[in-house]
Amino acid sequence: MLADVTFALSRGQWGVVLGPAGAGKTTLLEIIAGVRRHSKGRIALRGADVTTRRPEARRLGMVYQHGFLFPHLDVEGNIAYGSSAAAACAAAERIGADALFGRSVATLSGGERQLVALARALATSPDILLLDEPFAALDPRRRSLVRSEVASIHRERGTTVLHVTHDFVEAGLLGDLAIVLHGGGVAQVATPDELFRKPASGIVADFVGIENVFRGMIESREGDTDGAETTLRFTGEGIELIGVGRPTCGPGHAVVRGEDVVLSLSPLDGSSPRNVLAGVVREIARDGVLSRVSVATGGTSITAVVTRRSVEELGLRPDVAVTASVKATAVHLC
Amino acid sequence: MSARGAERLATAGVIAGASLLLLLLAIPIGSLVVRGGVAGVNALAADVELRNALLLTAACATAATFATILLGTPLAYLLARDRVPGGVALATLLELPLLIPHPVAGIALLLAFGRQTWIGGVLGRAGLGIVGSSTGIALAMLFVAAPLYMSAAREAIARVDRRYEDVARTLGDSPWRAVRRVTLPLARRGIVAAAIVMWARAVSEFGAIVILTYNPKVVSVLSYDRFTAYGLDAALPVAAVLVLLALVPLLALRSLRAGASPLERSG
Repeated sequence: MLADVTFALSRGQWGVVLGPAGAGKTTLLEIIAGVRRHSKGRIALRGADVTTRRPEARRLGMVYQHGFLFPHLDVEGNIAYGSSAAAACAAAERIGADALFGRSVATLSGGERQLVALARALATSPDILLLDEPFAALDPRRRSLVRSEVASIHRERGTTVLHVTHDFVEAGLLGDLAIVLHGGGVAQVATPDELFRKPASGIVADFVGIENVFRGMIESREGDTDGAETTLRFTGEGIELIGVGRPTCGPGHAVVRGEDVVLSLSPLDGSSPRNVLAGVVREIARDGVLSRVSVATGGTSITAVVTRRSVEELGLRPDVAVTASVKATAVHLC
Repeated sequence: MSARGAERLATAGVIAGASLLLLLLAIPIGSLVVRGGVAGVNALAADVELRNALLLTAACATAATFATILLGTPLAYLLARDRVPGGVALATLLELPLLIPHPVAGIALLLAFGRQTWIGGVLGRAGLGIVGSSTGIALAMLFVAAPLYMSAAREAIARVDRRYEDVARTLGDSPWRAVRRVTLPLARRGIVAAAIVMWARAVSEFGAIVILTYNPKVVSVLSYDRFTAYGLDAALPVAAVLVLLALVPLLALRSLRAGASPLERSG
């Protein structure tokens, strides 16, 4: 259930809605589309209040994750349902759904259904497009093609898109704005880059998959300021870090991305303020061309994401003593 | 006893129970058809009263069914989509006629719409009096059989995912246009099946009709009349025809199920 969800998406922007399963992402799209009732709040589209406006008068397109193609109509009938036959053909050709013409809905695969559902929504040339994981069932090659075609339609027509996805790569590629839902409310609204660099809370950091999230106490240090953010000291979970964040004192989280942790066999020299943590390698997990190296330090562990070549060059293996260095600016305190 | 022996015993018990039930159902119907079937089919050509009764029964059942489809389908939709305040209470009320003994249903109809009532007077002046008329027969059939239609049609509509309509709305349809273009076609087989079941139930009605209208006679009343006036042998052809008539909706239902899509079969 959604409790308090407030955000604004500018005309022509691509917004991505992220959040764990059950966070209310689909419900949010349905409320905006007007097909699900809500007890409180206001919805404005194109600057006008549409809270009481019927779905058919909101001029938007919606694509459900499972497509919900009309089973009693064939592919052409589905795509042309809300538009003319010419518009349906154009939309289908654009994203490659025209190859499915003549097929019955029952014979389509999950990916093909999504393609037809997308074409059906695009055929009506909506000002606003609500997408609920529309590319999830497509095979990787088709996904990339369709994604880029929908992105070009969005740019050409100035369509505003609100897109629910679980795919962080997709969110980073397409999104101008990311909205993270959690516990019935908005956990963060930020650009995807800011979301991954500066999550607003430990919950968001955990959700976006940042490797190192520590819980503890944050205290301000006098004098060190960097714009709106201040250098702060963090203590917790057997680790002490200097990081940056908005001036605050009290419980909070220290967030460090794995690729910002530099491993060396001896402490590094450098002028910028660093956190230097001595430890031993506990575990090395390969993840494609990268390796995740878990280093036990103090009462906790910190994970570094390094190339496999670095692992080989440094001779890293379990029980090897290493130094993990993290720039203060790479420690996000929230 | 070993586990295998117990399993065999259980299987034998199930087969014996099922056979007994089948025999209880099949023997009376079978003997009726065997003893009266040929005479019944022959009577169709010669017996004018039987032919008229058959036509009256079919016409009244059809009228009652169409009236229920027309008046009841929108309500079935609203109940299926939980859009009626007190929907559960209303649905229960709609099923109540199923539980009332049918002669009692006839008495209730007589009390509500008989000649001595205000409504009955208005209906009588309009030539639609319910006593001794085909209007009364159709009304009695509607009263006892419409709950079957309402219940099955509501379920058929509820099986159509609301999100099909939602998609149609975002594609520009008004609520009723979405229902007409999406929900009703998807629920069509279920609704037709509901109508067939209602029609079949209406055709076999006796108790409520006989209270309102003994003449003109529907087939069930004619069968009873021949039995009481002339005995078993005279009633047999009529009864056999009624049984054969029941095969029509049964076969229609079977063919509907055979042609159903997986979505409709699974719900």
